Amino acid sequence: MTMKLKFAALLTLSLALAGRAPAADKPSFTVGWSIYVGWNPYHYMGKSGILKKWADKYGVSIKVQRFDYAPSLEAFVAKSIDACTMTNMEALDMPAAAGVDTTAVILGDYSNGNDAVLVRNGLTFDKLAGKKVMLVQKTVSEYLFERGMAMSGAKDQIKWVKLVNTSDSDIAPAFLNNPDEEAVVTWKPLVSQIRKGKGITTIFTSAQIPGEILDLLVIRTEVLHRPGGQNFAKAMTGAWYETMSQLSGTGPAKEKALRGTAEASEDTLDSIKEQLATTNLFYTPQSAMQFLGSAELKQKMDLVRQFCFTHGLLGEGTRAADDVAILYPDGAVQGKKDRVRLRFDPSYTQLAVQGTL
Amino acid sequence: MTLWKINAEPGRTMTWFLSWFLFASGIALYVYTAHKRHLENPDDKVVPTFRQLTDGFYNAAFKPEADENSGPGLWQRISGSMLFHDTVASGRRFFIAFALLFPAAVLGLHIGVFPYIGAFFLRFILFFDKIIALSVLPILFIAFGIDELSKIMLIVIGVTPTIILDSFNLSKGVPKEQIVKGFTLGAGNFDIAYLVMLKQIFPRILNSIRINLKSVALFLFAGEMIASDDGLAYRIALMRRHMGMDTIIPYVLWVALLLFLVDLTMRFLNRRLHPWFREI
Repeated sequence: MTMKLKFAALLTLSLALAGRAPAADKPSFTVGWSIYVGWNPYHYMGKSGILKKWADKYGVSIKVQRFDYAPSLEAFVAKSIDACTMTNMEALDMPAAAGVDTTAVILGDYSNGNDAVLVRNGLTFDKLAGKKVMLVQKTVSEYLFERGMAMSGAKDQIKWVKLVNTSDSDIAPAFLNNPDEEAVVTWKPLVSQIRKGKGITTIFTSAQIPGEILDLLVIRTEVLHRPGGQNFAKAMTGAWYETMSQLSGTGPAKEKALRGTAEASEDTLDSIKEQLATTNLFYTPQSAMQFLGSAELKQKMDLVRQFCFTHGLLGEGTRAADDVAILYPDGAVQGKKDRVRLRFDPSYTQLAVQGTL
Repeated sequence: MTLWKINAEPGRTMTWFLSWFLFASGIALYVYTAHKRHLENPDDKVVPTFRQLTDGFYNAAFKPEADENSGPGLWQRISGSMLFHDTVASGRRFFIAFALLFPAAVLGLHIGVFPYIGAFFLRFILFFDKIIALSVLPILFIAFGIDELSKIMLIVIGVTPTIILDSFNLSKGVPKEQIVKGFTLGAGNFDIAYLVMLKQIFPRILNSIRINLKSVALFLFAGEMIASDDGLAYRIALMRRHMGMDTIIPYVLWVALLLFLVDLTMRFLNRRLHPWFREI
């Protein structure tokens, strides 16, 4: 074959392949997730065929893709993926603050001890002034740290603590191997690893601020209005609660779901069980509905949005926390009514409660 | 067509136009994209408008970071600013690492000149050169802590082997005849090493350091992104957390400008110190 012919053949082949991609004109959607005990079930959901079953039922095709956390947020803001797992804080300060209207479709869990402040030498919050604290800055770690300081009455000392921004991929060895470092804030499974070190104590965990660090599945609001968008959200919700019922059930199905969840982060079964113990998963749509409808949600979100605003996470141009408004299930709006950017939409969870998905 | 003529001599205007064309089209494309994205979404943070960029730069460079160091004068405002603070922190690390590259070059010369030194170091450095510095980060943290030292060591481990091997190669490139001639004229061992060999390879060593400036900056950035509480890359890593592109883009351009200036200074010095050297 001459070069030209080869090239032509290649071109035809690639065109043929490209033409085949959108399977039978089904609307297709991409979900990004990152490793965290509350999101690992998405991996199992995709692999076990549960998601495919629900996607087929609603006539859509759904691809699940793993990301590192920060890139997953960037991909979501840049609109390269349609849905993404993130915490309530990032949902507010990444897409919502960047003007990307975002809807929280699944309320997955809240951290109930997964995040922790750990110290050496028996330090306490009131002795941290002038000391260094390693953490990933401007994330829930810093939020947890400030809440801990505030709750121990050391709020006015926060500005005297020296925060060292440390990448989560290196934070555990960096803290464990440097006895000079006295405090660290991070999340599981790193917390479990650090806790095993000598002379290290836990002085605060997210179990002391239940319901403030929420883990969500969010979809861009615009995607919901696209053809098939509603069905996409319904399929995700249906698949999620089927996975949840397996995880909280008994027998071999539970075992399989646990294994799939552990496999997502290449954790051992014991480790994932230990992480699940400090994760308050909303296993049933009823429990999620109850939290969504509570006044608690508004109070906790208010703490989070004030934190985001005072730390400049809502952007230089944002003059008030109200500029990035939040819509709640009961129709109440926190912030300016014409600037709603984050919506808690209970309708899909409601369908799951009614069993009409 | 003149485009493909080796002997072509484009006019002044033409050269000017051609050399700025890619800059202008890049800027135009950026402005267009920013405008389009802001029409769709007025709060867009991914591609900030020109206005937002200048605001971002102004806030970073001319606004005191903390209220207590605010002063009325322009200098106080600049020296209290985030950009100034970060530049000083990163600059310090950069120049300490930079200064350590010169002893490395001298070591390379010694390896090339003195066979015993060569036998001792060469094989190890050839091996060490192939170690990917970023992959041994946990070891660096154990050995050097997470403060300044580990960041500087990361740069040193990443860049010095290249410099050592390069100056070794350069010293091997000096014709043997010159050494023989030096000895016949009564020079000692160190006269040959420093006055004959180092003297003539030094401009090339400077060039090799110049070319490796970007590696130095790269390792500096990697170190600052992994663990630090100040510095240019620290700020960029932090701003990424909430899509602060209005600050990130000015920072990136500022770093590019600084690197360009260091490079320009080194080129200028090299010309000044070695007017006989014409390979730049």
